[in-house]
Amino acid sequence: MEQSFELRRNDYSLSDDQEAVRQAFAEFFGQECPTTRVRAAEPLGHDEALWHQLAKLGAVSMALPEPAGGDGATLVDLLLVAEEYGRALAPVPLVEAAVTARLLATCPGPGTGRWLAGNAEGTELTTLALHPVRPGAPQLVPGGAVARAVVGLAGDDLVLVTAAEPPRLAPNQGTAPLAWWDLSGPSRQVLATGDAARGAYRRALAEWKVLTAGALAGLADAVKRLGAEFTKTRYTMGVPIGSLQGVAHPLADVEIAVAGARNLTRKAAWFLEHEPDARPELVPMAFAEAARAATTAAAVGLHVQGGFGFTLESDVTLHFRRAKGWSVLAGDPRAELLAIGDRLAATVH
Amino acid sequence: MDFSAVVLDDELEAFAAEVREFVAAHVTDEVRAEERRTGSGFNLALHKAMGAKGWIVPRLDRARLRILELALEAADAPLITLSTTRLVLSAVERYAAADLRAELLPKVLAGDVRFCLGYTEPDGGSDIAAAKTRAVRDGDEWVVNGQKVFTTGAQNCQYTFLITRTDPSVPKHKGLTMFLLPLETPGVEIGPIHTVGGERTNVVYYGDVRVPDRYRLGPVNGGWAVLRGPLDEEHFGAGHTDGLADLNIGSSWARLQRRGLAAAVRWARTARRPDGSHPIDDPTVRVRLGRIALDVEAALGTPGPMGRVRVSETLIRGSADLVDLVGPEALLPQGTEGCWEDGILDYAHRFAQGTAIYGGTTEVFRNIIAQHVLGLPRPVLPGSKALVGAGTAR
Ligand SMILES: Cc1cc2nc3c(=O)[nH]c(=O)nc-3n(C[C@H](O)[C@H](O)[C@H](O)COP(=O)(O)OP(=O)(O)OC[C@H]3O[C@@H](n4cnc5c(N)ncnc54)[C@H](O)[C@@H]3O)c2cc1C
Repeated sequence: MEQSFELRRNDYSLSDDQEAVRQAFAEFFGQECPTTRVRAAEPLGHDEALWHQLAKLGAVSMALPEPAGGDGATLVDLLLVAEEYGRALAPVPLVEAAVTARLLATCPGPGTGRWLAGNAEGTELTTLALHPVRPGAPQLVPGGAVARAVVGLAGDDLVLVTAAEPPRLAPNQGTAPLAWWDLSGPSRQVLATGDAARGAYRRALAEWKVLTAGALAGLADAVKRLGAEFTKTRYTMGVPIGSLQGVAHPLADVEIAVAGARNLTRKAAWFLEHEPDARPELVPMAFAEAARAATTAAAVGLHVQGGFGFTLESDVTLHFRRAKGWSVLAGDPRAELLAIGDRLAATVH
Repeated sequence: MDFSAVVLDDELEAFAAEVREFVAAHVTDEVRAEERRTGSGFNLALHKAMGAKGWIVPRLDRARLRILELALEAADAPLITLSTTRLVLSAVERYAAADLRAELLPKVLAGDVRFCLGYTEPDGGSDIAAAKTRAVRDGDEWVVNGQKVFTTGAQNCQYTFLITRTDPSVPKHKGLTMFLLPLETPGVEIGPIHTVGGERTNVVYYGDVRVPDRYRLGPVNGGWAVLRGPLDEEHFGAGHTDGLADLNIGSSWARLQRRGLAAAVRWARTARRPDGSHPIDDPTVRVRLGRIALDVEAALGTPGPMGRVRVSETLIRGSADLVDLVGPEALLPQGTEGCWEDGILDYAHRFAQGTAIYGGTTEVFRNIIAQHVLGLPRPVLPGSKALVGAGTAR
């Protein structure tokens, strides 16, 4: 853990370049992905055309290694895109595609170039299995209902499993394109084995968690705004409800949680990019915090709108369902606390 | 965005060494023991030594400032009065008459003159602008009558930065005048107030205190603007954006929590349960420690008014949980037999509560977040602009 006497910079601000990336994608999602489009993509939770547009903007390819067609963007840049993607609830498997493309670039195998290119160009999808493969035990794979290939860790092997067609959608509360994949079958290609496989997979999972945390922070910020805006114009007994502390203070608590989760997530991305071994506990911290912030933000954003907030007509229900839907894909978010505790036990003397 | 380690060149290394030597010489075990005993947030020899170094208001670059600040904090240097002195000094430099400024500045920098904050009154501190302590003009003097509470450090200061009511007939913010009132003036009476956190603060009575007009800061009835600068800095920090500053004014409390957490980890590694195992071997214990580590990290990374609330509530919740975890030995104060690591868990648990009160309570900060960050409408309260309420003697 970081010691207080170590002098480190403490700079969470965005550079001009980073701000430009954030803004470009904020504008893109703002224009292309209103909630009507989010709703139209249900129940599958995938919008092919949007996915193609987004990939063409370089959302996936920009953070690939340069030989694989990247243009030098870092995980921090990717995180800023994920924040905006989360804010818009964009029905595209952006995080899975980006992380899997980066993984394929580090562990290429014969023929994997095509899958990588598919993710980078938005023409095909390869996704990531978030849980280790157990023989005969299918798992729910994010993006799995729109992907024809999945990368996962089976024992000591990093494997690529393909299918002629994506399996059937597993309809779910989060309206995510989940599907059951059995990755223990015979038709799999080994991309790496041993330490290399485990290291690459662990890294991909860490990237998935940080980027998903960023998306959750963006989602939380959006639902907080929806809730806050509602309270400015809704009246009770002659005053706007937002002027009542029973309404305002829960929203303030959400602001506190969101501001913290966003910065923690950005810091985790920075360390993962620049000094991955220095503060590995930041990844579970960011994920647990963003999951909590999104859960709280969605509940409060819904509640301050009263009965309307609970109706399907209200957009906050879109956020509400995804806040949980995205938080649990990799397992219990509170399990991250144990990872932090393990690191404490190993490092504090 | 940048969290890289600052590379200390030879000159910075030399400065860090100078700071280490200073701390070893002036923030000794005796100084810390005295602070635990008195809770006064002040040590005269240390304060004068800071003055001799030019560190009352250090004219240092930001890297040096950060090194100095973190080293003093890590050593538990009692510097509350230094911080109130600094807050007031900015208002003195801006608003005091030239001769008063010229008289005081060298003495402040040498450590001989110190300032405390005279805002809070017995009827309530959150609504500062409702202050009732009266100042009435009498020729070239003002006559002050009233009472302040929680004037921390008054017993070690020469002046109090006093907010007074000079016109009760106008909207409450418009009838206030600030003074730099010499505490030695007849009629000023200082008495101790002790907190459960171990701090000593004060009640200060003002009975027909005659203060010359030269000690007025800023215009008559223009006190609110004079107060704003120091108040905002106390609430929000100095606002440095150079990537070396803390993000919120409570960060030192979060670092205190981190030290308590480290003490608890060491406890969990060495203590034994009846079955012979160490608590740290139990995953539920590691989960709880992990939760607190997360809260500390999140608190340090939460900006501005949001961070101020997050830190206090992290400290309150986490320090209570660490006591639960460690058990009664966590409640043994420093110096008692069997106390854990100098009683840091006992201390943190008591100290935590105050951090959500002084410098603006967490509810006051939630109001600030609601109105200024979320843009929510202001509550319509009868006393927002006017002096009203069920108070006494008006
Ligand atoms: C150790 C210590 C040192 C201090 N040092 C100084 C000092 O040096 N100088 C100085 O002037 N003061 C000092 N204070 C006083 C401190 O600033 C006040 O205690 C604080 O501002 C709260 O005022 P109060 O105690 O009168 O509580 P009140 O203002 O009466 O508040 C009581 C409760 O009501 C809540 N409340 C009040 N108003 C609102 C509102 N608008 N919305 C929602 N909830 C509200 C508060 O959050 C609190 O929980 C110190 C206090 C302590 C404990």
